[in-house]
Amino acid sequence: MSSAAAQFLRDAAEKSADLAHREIIRRGMESYDTAHLKGRARIKDWEAAREKCQQIKRQAINHLDRYLVQFEQQVIARGGHVFWAEDSEQACSYVKNLATQRGVKTVVKSKSMVTEEIHLGPVLEKAGIKVWETDFGEFIVQLRGEAPYHIVTPCMHLKRDQIANLFREKLDKNIESDDPAYLMTVARRILRQAFFSAEMGISGANFLVADAGVVAINTNEGNGRLCTSIPRIHVVVTGIEKVLPRLEDLAVFWPVLATSGTGQGITTYSTLIGGPRRPGEADGPEEFHVVLVDNGRSRLLANPEQREVLHCIRCGACLNICPVFRHIGGHTYGTTYPGPIGSVLTPHLAGLAEFKHLSYASSLCGACSSVCPVKINLHHHLLQNRRDATEAGATKSSERFVFSMWRRAMLHPRIYAFGGWSMRKGLRLLYGLGLAGSALDPMQVWNRHRSPVPLPSKSFRARWRNGFNTNGKAN
Amino acid sequence: MARQTESSSRDSILGRIRAGLRVVPHSAPPEESERPIFEDINNPLERFQGECVANLMECTLTADLAASARQLATVLQSLPSGSIFVQDDPALRRLIDIAAPGRAIRWSSEGAPEESSQATVTRAEALIVQTGSILVTGSCGGRGASIVAPCHIVLATMDQLVPDLTTALRRVSQQQLLNSNSFACVISGSSRTADIEKILVQGAHGPRRLVVILQSGPA
Ligand code: SF4
Repeated sequence: MSSAAAQFLRDAAEKSADLAHREIIRRGMESYDTAHLKGRARIKDWEAAREKCQQIKRQAINHLDRYLVQFEQQVIARGGHVFWAEDSEQACSYVKNLATQRGVKTVVKSKSMVTEEIHLGPVLEKAGIKVWETDFGEFIVQLRGEAPYHIVTPCMHLKRDQIANLFREKLDKNIESDDPAYLMTVARRILRQAFFSAEMGISGANFLVADAGVVAINTNEGNGRLCTSIPRIHVVVTGIEKVLPRLEDLAVFWPVLATSGTGQGITTYSTLIGGPRRPGEADGPEEFHVVLVDNGRSRLLANPEQREVLHCIRCGACLNICPVFRHIGGHTYGTTYPGPIGSVLTPHLAGLAEFKHLSYASSLCGACSSVCPVKINLHHHLLQNRRDATEAGATKSSERFVFSMWRRAMLHPRIYAFGGWSMRKGLRLLYGLGLAGSALDPMQVWNRHRSPVPLPSKSFRARWRNGFNTNGKAN
Repeated sequence: MARQTESSSRDSILGRIRAGLRVVPHSAPPEESERPIFEDINNPLERFQGECVANLMECTLTADLAASARQLATVLQSLPSGSIFVQDDPALRRLIDIAAPGRAIRWSSEGAPEESSQATVTRAEALIVQTGSILVTGSCGGRGASIVAPCHIVLATMDQLVPDLTTALRRVSQQQLLNSNSFACVISGSSRTADIEKILVQGAHGPRRLVVILQSGPA
């Protein structure tokens, strides 16, 4: 078992038994559910919206080379810079070198999962640059030294008194209340100084619009606006898959992203930026850089089954609906992207052998696929990853042995019947001796935390021979 | 720093993308559907006002410039004293002359808004009925003009209402607004967060108040 898998099992057991944690998540998800359903009801034909988004993203990804170049040319024509980064290291060193060459001491960041994926913050801090996360939730998890818990709501695992205590400890011992509005005011005051002293703002992008040659950034708090308006340099760090062909496509993507993300009709600030400040404009950065990160994405393109995973717009809906996420929480996954999309994507970005266990962090109920606004067939991709891991020989020899026995039994009815008979007898004896759940119990994994499933007195074959009555019970 | 892309990584990424795209995906392309996605808009003004309420923004209708000036004066009086930032625009110059005779004014032609601005006053490129939004660009006083101060006041006219996002974005493309401006933004309400226990807090990093003065006559 990989160390990531062992850690996952430990954390999952701990978190799913932590009732206080589950209660916080349950409440958070309940208010999301209500808002999400209300948001969907405001759209006349939600299914048509999903189909449209699927079509558009498919077109975008199937011509990714063309659209990226079209985007790049316009940004360069307006005096911006575009850097193509193969991996995290190239992306981080581009930003770090830029910052040190320009004498940057302070960076303000708005929320960007790609910067989390490439671990940009620590790289800049190591170079002696102060990095401020300015999204309120990100600011809080940064103070705690934690990764975001969720891709849309980074601190949904915390209660207000925990946040007030954190502020008391890290910011100001005179914090007097745990009222969310008050805590926001405290953060606003501190971050405002950061906005006005920083030399560089770093943002992500929700979309790269090819025909207009602009990045689209959505935020509610306005921190993304300040990061991209005030500092002298603006750097966008984003994945190559974020492309949309036409500006008009946003007319469906903006409402769909907001509805799936938070239930809003549209995000408060839907911003489009195409370059540095133009002559005659009152303000804006003098330099504009876009870092296009590959980091395994182009490999996914060549996967005939899973190319559509690149359609993801990171709305978080599949996390919110997932029964596994709701029990084990975001941090347990141990990945930048948690939940169903993270379980599908991480093995591709970070290695199948190390992260194949995530393909099993699913009941395959398909709830994720049913909510995904770009209709990614998430649970099928989890199954494909299971298959690929097995074919790549990434399974334990004991597991392969058991499955070869199983296969043999399934192909030979007599062996199967014998197996069933000996299991019934053996388990009955074992349970009779009170050994259920012990190391001797072949059903240990199940029985350790549960009472054993009652054993049938007769085999299925015997009952079949005798005929079933209408209740499905043997006569 | 190289102005152009460092070409080795660019070429290898594009090369991998092109090679990857030669693989044919297993799943069939989805069916093209042209079913209408959003509700029709029947009464634009009423719908716009309703969406403004839902977005926690204020929208007041006025008959002419004099009425708009009175409305602006009322809003400004409710704010603490201190300088305000105004987009340098002929209609706004007229408006400010009447509405804010005593205030210290910084015009957008003088540069970016100060951090301590009490309010910003700007025009908009369009108002979007479907989502209760205003569309601003760099020409509307710059980037900071709609985000730096605790209160953002927009003077707009009735003929600026456009039905939906598609129309608004089409106009941006047709008029090449993103070539003449480095920035555009569809703003739908006041700045907010719900990061703590999903409780809505109005006024995060941006304006707590977004006020639209919607004038029926020309500005
Ligand atoms: S996979 Fe779909 S539902 Fe999940 S985050 Fe991506 S777009 Fe949203």
